[in-house]
Parts: sequence; structure tokens; C-alpha cells
Amino acid sequence: MVLCIIAFIVFGIMSIFSAKYRPLAKEGFRCVFRTLTMKPCDTGLDQKFKTEVVYSVMRYSPAIARFVNKQFAVISWIFVLLTIASFGYSAYGVYNFYVFGNCEGPNAVSTCILNDLTGDYGRFSSPTELISPTSLDGIKAGNSSSNLTIVEFGCFVCPYTKKAEPLVKELLNTTNVNYIFKPFPLPNHNNSFIAAQAVLCAVKQDKAWEMRERVFAHQETCSVDGTLAINDIAESSGMNMTLFKGCMNNNETVEELNKYIEQGKAAHIYATPTFFINGKPLVGPKSIDEFKGLIK
Amino acid sequence: MNVKNDFPFLAKNIDLVYLDSACTSIKPKQVIEAEKSYYEDYGACAGRSSHKFGAKTSEKIENCREIVAGFVGAKSENLIWTRNTTEGLNLVANCTDFQKRKTVVTTINEHHSVLLPLLKLRDTGKIKLKVLKAENGVVSLEQWSDAIDKETALVVTHNSNNTTSIKQNVKQIAEIVHDAGALICIDGAQGVPHYAVDFGQENFDFLCFSGHKMLGSTGIGALVAKTELLKSMPQFLVGGGTVKTVSLEKVVVASDQSKFEAGIQHYAGIFGFAAACEYLKKIGMKNIEAHEKTLSTALLSELKNANATVYGDLNNRGALYSFNLGNAAPHELALMLDKEGIAVRSGFFCAQPAMESLGAKNGCARVSAYVYNSLEDVKKFGNALKKLSELYC
Ligand SMILES: Cc1ncc(COP(=O)(O)O)c(C=O)c1O
Repeated sequence: MVLCIIAFIVFGIMSIFSAKYRPLAKEGFRCVFRTLTMKPCDTGLDQKFKTEVVYSVMRYSPAIARFVNKQFAVISWIFVLLTIASFGYSAYGVYNFYVFGNCEGPNAVSTCILNDLTGDYGRFSSPTELISPTSLDGIKAGNSSSNLTIVEFGCFVCPYTKKAEPLVKELLNTTNVNYIFKPFPLPNHNNSFIAAQAVLCAVKQDKAWEMRERVFAHQETCSVDGTLAINDIAESSGMNMTLFKGCMNNNETVEELNKYIEQGKAAHIYATPTFFINGKPLVGPKSIDEFKGLIK
Repeated sequence: MNVKNDFPFLAKNIDLVYLDSACTSIKPKQVIEAEKSYYEDYGACAGRSSHKFGAKTSEKIENCREIVAGFVGAKSENLIWTRNTTEGLNLVANCTDFQKRKTVVTTINEHHSVLLPLLKLRDTGKIKLKVLKAENGVVSLEQWSDAIDKETALVVTHNSNNTTSIKQNVKQIAEIVHDAGALICIDGAQGVPHYAVDFGQENFDFLCFSGHKMLGSTGIGALVAKTELLKSMPQFLVGGGTVKTVSLEKVVVASDQSKFEAGIQHYAGIFGFAAACEYLKKIGMKNIEAHEKTLSTALLSELKNANATVYGDLNNRGALYSFNLGNAAPHELALMLDKEGIAVRSGFFCAQPAMESLGAKNGCARVSAYVYNSLEDVKKFGNALKKLSELYC
């Protein structure tokens, strides 16, 4: 009976792609139907399925085939349970997608995760551990006197931080928000530090948003080509290149960046982008509705 | 014996080892050609139309009747065309007179085609049925003698068994039957294809067999019966061709065997059936028997070598064995062998009581060889079985 169910599922899926399996899927359906109506499966499909499996294994290893043959009932139960579990999981995903617009659920981490790090960095992994930063310095936009403050920790070469950009823009356009960006370059992304430095240097020439937009737009090139790409972008943003290069080589810039990194660590940031909406954390590029939910 | 080249099916499936001949045999090109020739060169009705193609067809059909009857040592007037063995057995069961004597004796080893018509008659109260038990697939002559008496109207049994290929001494059984004044009907489905059967000399009353198991066409068989029985027995199926004259008041039944041949017959099949008999005769039934003996010995040694369980007594065998292997379910075993390019049958072989009496409660696999099989085929079967024995034993 178990075999009938698996055979039905497996052949059913295969028959979507190849007509060859359709009669077998039909047989599987008949078999499952008979099983459900308390009649014995009379199509011999279970045996066909078992021999297909055992024979294919036998070509590689007679010893494993022997084991599979002996434990076939157990193995098929495991498969059935896994299949049911994976169906359940998919259904949960569909539900989440429908309700939250994200198949991984409301707290899904579609982010650039901190990994291969030592020390404090990357010790945390859950939104409940996040601590809102106390200092409100950073790259600012919006209305600084608004009573809605959104702080973002982001990395310029993280695809997810980039993905959240349209959202940030929409928030800036549609709400009266005090927006503060704190660069948090992830060490596991190439050239993330240089990119962050470049945007900090752009602030000094009042070109922060131009630089930020261009870096995101050419994220891959920045990540691969580093300084070369950054200089090109700075130049095309209309920056004074002497000042820019001076800034890039200046210890002060490095110190400023380190300050934000320390703030990120203190906030237990483990992934980018991470937002704090009036102190309430939100990890990953979420939908505008979720932001609005937290804003309320 | 190397006749493989005569079999187009085998030529088209070079890698196939066909060992399911007890179910049905492969057909040689001579049979296929003969069948084709009916459609291409004859095309008409037999025994009805007087135009030249009608006459030509009638003549050929009678010629075929002579060939097929002759093949089992009978005369053409004793042969009725049937669809298969099953139809012949049904005819005998349903047309025998059970007024004076009511008992029919048969064995547990029979094919469903023997058992079911008899069980039906028993269940409707028309006959009393004695079913002889078997010891390891064998029913002894003493059992027959003890069972047959003055109450016995009819004995129905096989000459060769389809689950074990064990041959019965039907000539002696016929003697016992006739001494008691009863009739004997032989299910020759598995005997006639494999060795010389002589209806007259073995003194049968009825003999049924199928074309398809002996290289002939499907859908055609024969019932051979003694002349007086054909005369005295009532009709079975009636219709076109079974009468002399018909009015609404009176039907005058045909005086010869055509009274049993209702409707247009399977002419092409009859052509093929006769061609098969000629083909077998040309090879010689003695040679076929000897060839199968060799195959039988080889098969048994391969089965033993793979530690298979073989059912039934090992004496008086043809080239057919029912077997199981370790913990494999019979259908699994057959499917696995199929993957190795070997065709065998699995299940109960339409003889469930027989299989159960042999101790194969869940059925088994059956290997059966014929003229076109070689020792090389048997070797391939043995190798595959050996491989599977590592999986299942
Ligand atoms: C011993 C025996 N009797 C009767 C039959 C029935 O033959 P058919 O199906 O050709 O009528 C078979 C066929 O398997 C058989 O093996």
C-alpha cells in the first residue's frame, strides 16, 4: 500500500514530463483508490515499483540492493513520511507566500548572513536577540525631526541590502521618516569595506545618495573590481577625485566605519539588511506592508 | 537443434530469452505465412459458397483437418475445430450424458479450464465430482483405480501438467476408465506440443488441445472425439453450418462433426494450425522430445545451482519447472528476470488448487522451454538466476 502511494506520487510527477509514465501514474491512482476503499491493490504496481528500484540499485551494488530489498518496507515508509513532510512544508510555504508575501514566513532571513567570523561578530542568529542602537548618527535622509525613526544596517555589496533599496525609497517618498543608514560591511563579501568607505567619503562631498545608488547599481563590478570600479563610480558621480582619493586613504574614514561596525556588533546584527523601526527590528528585504505594520 | 532462424519474433528480439512457452509459443514464419495465405490467396467461406474460392477454401480446410487430426493419430472425421483447449473441455463437460452415471473424476492438478466447467456442473447438481489429491504433484495409478467405478461417467485429466510438466500415464488410466465402462477426456494442451500423442492407440474418448501452444495460431484449437460420441452427443453452440435443414417446426442437425462448428470458423488460424503441425512433424516429435529432455536436465541443474525451490516430483518431466527463489515474491522474480531479458511467467498459472497442493501458497515463477530454446538460453537463465539468488537468498 505504501508503495502504491509513493509510486503514484513519483510516477505522477514524472508523467508531467514524460508520457511514458502516464499509464504507471494511472495504475498508481487506481491502486491508491483501491487501497483507500479497503480493497487490495490489484495492479501489481507495488511489485513493479520495487523491482524497478531494486534492479537499478543492483547495477551499482548488489550488496546495497540486497539491503534495499530486505528493508524495502521500512525504506518506503521513510520515503512516504519524507514525502508527506515535504508536501506539508511546501503547503506552509504557499501559505506564507499568500499571507506574508514571502514563502519563508514573516521572520524569514533572506539576508546576507554573517558567517565564518570569529569573536562577537556573528554570534547571534535571531531577531529576538537584536538590540536597537542608541546613537542616531549615520548617513541621513528624510525628516530628522519626525517621530518615526528607521535605522538600517546595510552592506553595499550585499544583494539583499540592494533588494531592500526600492523599499527604502518608497518609505522616504510616502512617509515622514527620519532615516539613518549605518554601513555594516560584511567581511564575507568582497570589497565591502571599500564600498562602505566610498559612500562615507561621498557624504563629505554631498554626493552620498548618488554614490549609494551607483554602487548598488554596479554591485557586482564593485565586488569584483574593488577600488578600480569604485573610483570610476566616484568620478561619474561628479566627485572631486583628489578629495575622494584623499578621503579613501584617510584613517579618519576607517575609524568612522569602524564606529558603525562596533555599533552593529553591539546591536547583535547577524545579517543585512537589518532595520529598526522606532527600535523594533526587521531583518531582510521585507514587503512595504510589513514595514507599515511595524510603523503602526 | 537450431531452428531459431525460423522465428521472426526471436530474430527481432535477439537479446530475449523466451522461456514462457507453456503460456504460449512463438510462431515460425511458416505458420505466419500460412495464415497470411488464407487472406491473400483464399479469402472465402468454407462449406458454404460454391464459387471457386469457396471451393478452394473448403478443400484446404478439410486438408488442414486431416493434417491436424493426423498429427495426434486421429482421422479427420473425428476432429472439431474449437477456439482452444478450454472450449473443447467445456463442450465435453456440457454435452456428456450424465443421466445414467453421474460421477466425474478429475485431479487437484488440473488447469482451471478443466476444473471450472466441472465445478459449475457440480454446483448446479448435474454431476458428482471426485477430485483426486496429489502427492508432490503425482496422482498414482492406484488412486485412479480406487476412484473409478461403475458410477463413473467421465474422467477428465491432463497428459502433461502445466505447473510441473509431469507426464501422466494416460494410456493406463484410459484402460482403467474403459474397464469401468466410463469415458476419458484428455486435456492435451501441454502434452500434444511436446511429444507424440496417439488418440487411437492411447484409446482416448476425447482429446483437447490448442494451436497456440504448439507454434500455431492463437484462437484455434481442436477437440478430437470418437465417432460414436460425436454422433450421440447433443450440440453445444448452434448456428450457421450446424444443420442440414431448418424450418420453424423442425431442425435437422448435421450428421457429421460440423454440427459442433457453429458459425464461420477461424480459417486463417486453421491454416496456421495445420502449418504448425507440419512444421513439428518435419522436425520429428521424437527429436523434439529428446531436445526438451536435454533442456530439462540443464534447467534443473541451473535451478539447483541457484538454490531455487522447485515444486513437484522430478521424474517424468518435460522442460518446465515451477520455482521460487529465497524471499522473492513470484511476480518480483519474474519482473527481475524480465529486466535481465528473460521471459518467464509468475503466479498460479490458472491452476491455483494445484499450486496450493504443491505447497506454493503464494504462487511461484515458471520457466518453460520449447523447440527454439537452446542450452545457451538455459545458461543465460541460470546466470540471471544465480545473480538474483544473491539478492533474495
Ligand atoms: C494444462 C492446460 N490445460 C488447458 C489450458 C487452456 O488452454 P487455452 O487457454 O489455450 O484454452 C492450458 C493453458 O495454459 C493448460 O496449460
